[in-house]
Amino acid sequence: MGMSYRRYLAGARVYGCLSCRTHLTTIHSMISRAFNGQHGRAYLFEDVVNVIEGEPNDRQMTTGNHTVRDIYCCKCKTILGWKYEKAYEQSQKYKEGKYILERNLLVDVQ
Amino acid sequence: MRPPEREYESNPTSPRIHPQARSPSLSPSPKANGHVANGHGSPMNGSSKHSKSPVPRVELPGATIYDDSYIDREEYIRLVIQSLRDIGYIESAATLEAESGYVMETSRVAEFRRCILEGTWSEAESALEHLGVSENDGLWEAKCHISQQKYLECLESGRTSMALHVLRNELAPLHTDPELLHPLSSLVMCTDAADLRQKAGWDGAHGSSRRRLLVNLQSYIPSSLMIPPRRFVTLLDQARLQQISQCIYHNAPITPQHFSLYADHTCDTDLFPRVTTTILQVHTDEVWSLEWSHSGKFLASASKDKSVIVWSVGPNSNPEISLYLHLQDHQFPVGCLAWSLDDTILLSSCEQLIKMWNTESGALIRTIEAHTEPVSALAWVPDGSGFISASQDRKINLWGSDGKQRDSWGITATRIIDLAVTPDFTRLVAIGESARDPILSTPRSDAAAASATARNGNNNTAPNGSRTPEYLMIVYDLTTKQPELSVSLGGQLTSVKISSDSQYALVNHAPDEVHLWDLFTGRLARKYTGQRQGRHIIRSCFGGVDGNFVVSGSEDGKVYVWHRDRGILLDVLAGHGLGSVNSVAWNPRNTQMFASCSDDCTIRLWEPSAGGTDGDSASRLAHRTADDRSHEGELNGKGKGKGRESWVEDISASRIL
Ligand SMILES: [Zn+2]
Repeated sequence: MGMSYRRYLAGARVYGCLSCRTHLTTIHSMISRAFNGQHGRAYLFEDVVNVIEGEPNDRQMTTGNHTVRDIYCCKCKTILGWKYEKAYEQSQKYKEGKYILERNLLVDVQ
Repeated sequence: MRPPEREYESNPTSPRIHPQARSPSLSPSPKANGHVANGHGSPMNGSSKHSKSPVPRVELPGATIYDDSYIDREEYIRLVIQSLRDIGYIESAATLEAESGYVMETSRVAEFRRCILEGTWSEAESALEHLGVSENDGLWEAKCHISQQKYLECLESGRTSMALHVLRNELAPLHTDPELLHPLSSLVMCTDAADLRQKAGWDGAHGSSRRRLLVNLQSYIPSSLMIPPRRFVTLLDQARLQQISQCIYHNAPITPQHFSLYADHTCDTDLFPRVTTTILQVHTDEVWSLEWSHSGKFLASASKDKSVIVWSVGPNSNPEISLYLHLQDHQFPVGCLAWSLDDTILLSSCEQLIKMWNTESGALIRTIEAHTEPVSALAWVPDGSGFISASQDRKINLWGSDGKQRDSWGITATRIIDLAVTPDFTRLVAIGESARDPILSTPRSDAAAASATARNGNNNTAPNGSRTPEYLMIVYDLTTKQPELSVSLGGQLTSVKISSDSQYALVNHAPDEVHLWDLFTGRLARKYTGQRQGRHIIRSCFGGVDGNFVVSGSEDGKVYVWHRDRGILLDVLAGHGLGSVNSVAWNPRNTQMFASCSDDCTIRLWEPSAGGTDGDSASRLAHRTADDRSHEGELNGKGKGKGRESWVEDISASRIL
């Protein structure tokens, strides 16, 4: 893989990892607040940085079957949410390639 | 053909003492010594001491040394005579003068030389005029040089009134600008001769000052009249430099062994480090960084496995390599390393922390927590008094060697990725990302208008709507801490190194380039291409004799080697496994060894192939083979400190040229 530094973001509101404050995404990238995760409320984002993606697996969600990957903070390795790889329901296709972050694992940084 | 020479020793009591005595006592000019004007037995035939049994003049047709040569025979022979005299072959020089009819220099030149070296100044001045130096040729300036020497010598020997006389009557009329005269006149105030020599930057009548004066005066006298000193050797040196510039693998020290007059110099490519001789396999994850100690005896490696290893490398004659220290007290992967000038302290960086290690005991001396984001560069200052740290938090800090903060540069314009200090202590070169952090893409569900505004309003906007970061190289003046040059570059910059002469900065640049910046002119001097780099920190370095080479890691798992000044890609060295070669480091004390480290968890040492003609390297092969056999059992086992390849067959060192 090789060595790289974490990315830093700017904007009105930058969300970071609660445990290590690594920058993850910004409010500009938010698509929806109307999601639920394992720890309560979760947000859907267009783009997220500084995360490692886990292996793909199929999960039955309230909105149907999806192939997802867990995403980990690249510094502290906390599981922060997941990335939608594939949505099987036509109506859920818009989520493909997008990220879910659990609100309770985020902190405002900057 | 040659006349019997022993007979000339007519004065055996002083055979070699007075070289100048062999010069002809009467001769108008060297040109007049041409064989036409110069009859047999004339005084031109070298020393009058030879008159008892004169050496027959050899009459030759033409004026060149070979029919098809452009080299003038007279010029050539006069240079030979000069070299013979310099060496001490005084009789041979005299014989050659007699046989050829050419003299090294006329008696007037010899007289002038004698006057300067003996310090008979008024005679020297008239000798200068007799040499035909006119006002147009700078007679005035030449006299000025002589008067200045005379003045200093008077002061040195305490003849102050004489010195003042020279100042007023000789130097003052010659200097039209009184400002120029002032530094000289102020020397009268010197307390003693030693003080004078120090203030004047002059080494006295008995030092080399008269010989230097002679060299200065030489420029006013036609070189055909008075041959510049060591002229033959100067020409040979030029030939040597020309041969070196043609030798693209040039990595040999300047010794008679490597530079024979009998053949053009060229370095044996077998003596160039291009095969793996050792694989160090102890790290359990990617190896990211390498630094040699200044002694060249230790190699430190930093890994994603959260440890630093210090390897001990034996002397060239006994290249035993062993794990010397394993520094494991790091909570996160280790990014950079820096040895103190005396090699007693090793610094490592781990996230925002800097750790100082005692390199003898392996004890952790101190952990410094002053940065808030990952430390990205550590560099000792050239006087060894401390070190500089830089970080992704944009700060540059200066620390004493005790680990106490001395200074801070505050928040700079960049999230620093690497920095280096010039060895002459004048500049600091930092590379990094502009502090204008990128904004992530706007969601498609947002108003299209907002998105369109963002795209049109910002040239840095990438197609997906996010701002591309700006990458900067900033050259700071170390004393003022002010940027003297700031260059915005199109791709990510990942490594910076400075050449030993402080002139060049070597910068890795994504995608796929290494740049050489001339810090004196502030211009890009050269680009090296071939290596692959896109997203990762890939490092490069200078190396070899005179820093003649540039080496870089690469994301394709190979090591790239270029000729620094010609930019030619010399080698693409394969061997490392999957992933990137992250860093390379050339041994500062062994020009024939460098190291590379990779995502494959190993470090490789690259050295000349064993088949080289160097006797030393042949004996090393034998040594290593024996060593390998004796450790064969252990090598196959896991956890062994090192593994060595059978480097002859396995290594695929693909040569490009
Ligand atoms: Zn984290």
